[in-house]
Amino acid sequence: MKLSLKIWRQKNKNSEGIFKNYVLSDVSPDMSFLEMLDTLNEQLLSKNEDPVAFDHDCREGICGSCSMMINGKPHGPESKTTTCQLHMRKFKDGDEVIVEPWRASAFPVIRDLVVDRSAFDRIIQAGGFVSVNTGNAQDGNTLPIPKPDADAAMDAAACIGCGACVAACKNASAMLFTAAKVSHLGYLPQGQPERQRRVLKMVEQMDNEGFGNCTNTNDCEAACPKGISVHNIARLNRDFLKAKLFG
Amino acid sequence: MSSLLQFLRSTVFTKIVMAITGLLIIGFLIGHMLGNLLMFAGPEKINAYALGLKNLGPLLWLVRLGMIAAFGLHIWSSIQLAYRNKMARPVQYDTKKSLKSTFASRTMLVSGLAILFFVIYHLLHYTFGIIQPNTYHAGGYRMESTGEIVHHVYNMVVAGFQNPYISISYILALIFLSSHVSHATTSAFHTLGVMNPNAKKITSKIGPALAGLFLVGYLSIPIGVMIGVIKKAPDQKYVSTMTKDCPDTPDCKCE
Repeated sequence: MKLSLKIWRQKNKNSEGIFKNYVLSDVSPDMSFLEMLDTLNEQLLSKNEDPVAFDHDCREGICGSCSMMINGKPHGPESKTTTCQLHMRKFKDGDEVIVEPWRASAFPVIRDLVVDRSAFDRIIQAGGFVSVNTGNAQDGNTLPIPKPDADAAMDAAACIGCGACVAACKNASAMLFTAAKVSHLGYLPQGQPERQRRVLKMVEQMDNEGFGNCTNTNDCEAACPKGISVHNIARLNRDFLKAKLFG
Repeated sequence: MSSLLQFLRSTVFTKIVMAITGLLIIGFLIGHMLGNLLMFAGPEKINAYALGLKNLGPLLWLVRLGMIAAFGLHIWSSIQLAYRNKMARPVQYDTKKSLKSTFASRTMLVSGLAILFFVIYHLLHYTFGIIQPNTYHAGGYRMESTGEIVHHVYNMVVAGFQNPYISISYILALIFLSSHVSHATTSAFHTLGVMNPNAKKITSKIGPALAGLFLVGYLSIPIGVMIGVIKKAPDQKYVSTMTKDCPDTPDCKCE
């Protein structure tokens, strides 16, 4: 099939970007979206043009690198799917496909579709960890964890930090990401000693990075390729209040 | 101290302020609506109710100051949050689709501003009597129960809503208010960290339910006046104490 692509091109952080149009023919419906971009890049290279820069790593939907806005939706039209797992059979012959980087002041565009998401790393560094004494590993069964808690922690931990929540949010808020990271440790006994400090530090860092704030529109939940629930945001709010009032 | 300052500056705290003040305003709106519905009970009831409110004295001022504070903080928080949100995405998308968000949730700033203008207009209209001064000072009402001469709130409201432009402006304002409330209430409980599954069943529906209630409850009055269910009471010659120029006739009692 034949696609007309409209892709954001930007040389570096400081240069002005612009949309460029490309026509790509012989796109196989079995290709992934990234393979389609690879094909485009091969053509560009053969014409001595700069290839389109985009982040990618595992191409298995678990690393969270392949972040791009496709036709106005983070990771494209298919729900709970990363860009690398999106297949071209979701598009029709002759479709126009608009590809843009995430737009947020906390995620500056480095080149073309690549944004700097280290703001997320700094939020994790601020409190998204548990401190564990070194030594022999404890026997797993000595620390009983109720099954519902373990499941909820696992659901929150499914967050791959791709930034789709920020991209989809009308306020470019990182609440879903931060809430997922706060919750996945907060549900577990290992996360309790640092629970209050964690939520305060992570929210502080989130604010310092210049993300917007949550207005509970729930677009983040719908955009999340891992289906992280906004329930975690309510949990963050509750933890935050508790930490301040009783901490 | 620095941690307190940091807490006060945090977006989550600002949202909590937004939520609590918003819920206070909703509490007021419920009370105000129930009081207004006395229009259907006739002039005696609503005028007595209005007099009762006036006679609360310091308590009335406590509620008024509370409402002014709630409104002030609500607006202050919204400015803070809206400014941050604007800064958080300086470059807009070429194409962006809404996924799950409701129209109401995406237009809170617009509906909020519309409500602010309406509140000012509404106060100028029925509280200060600057809009439609003639209907505001429509004359007094002698209470059947006590014989006291009071402000004729009933006729003021009927005369006000007999003007179709006034009625339409109130209907429009209520559409904005309902839109605002439908997202705001549910959102406020989420911000306050309501997570219990049973409580969430209620809080997730309370916004749209309240929005519908306000729409029906508040609009029943202008619509009731326009279709003639609420009719003007016969004019009495009494002049209430609220009217400045007293004709000083034998059947007029002025204080």
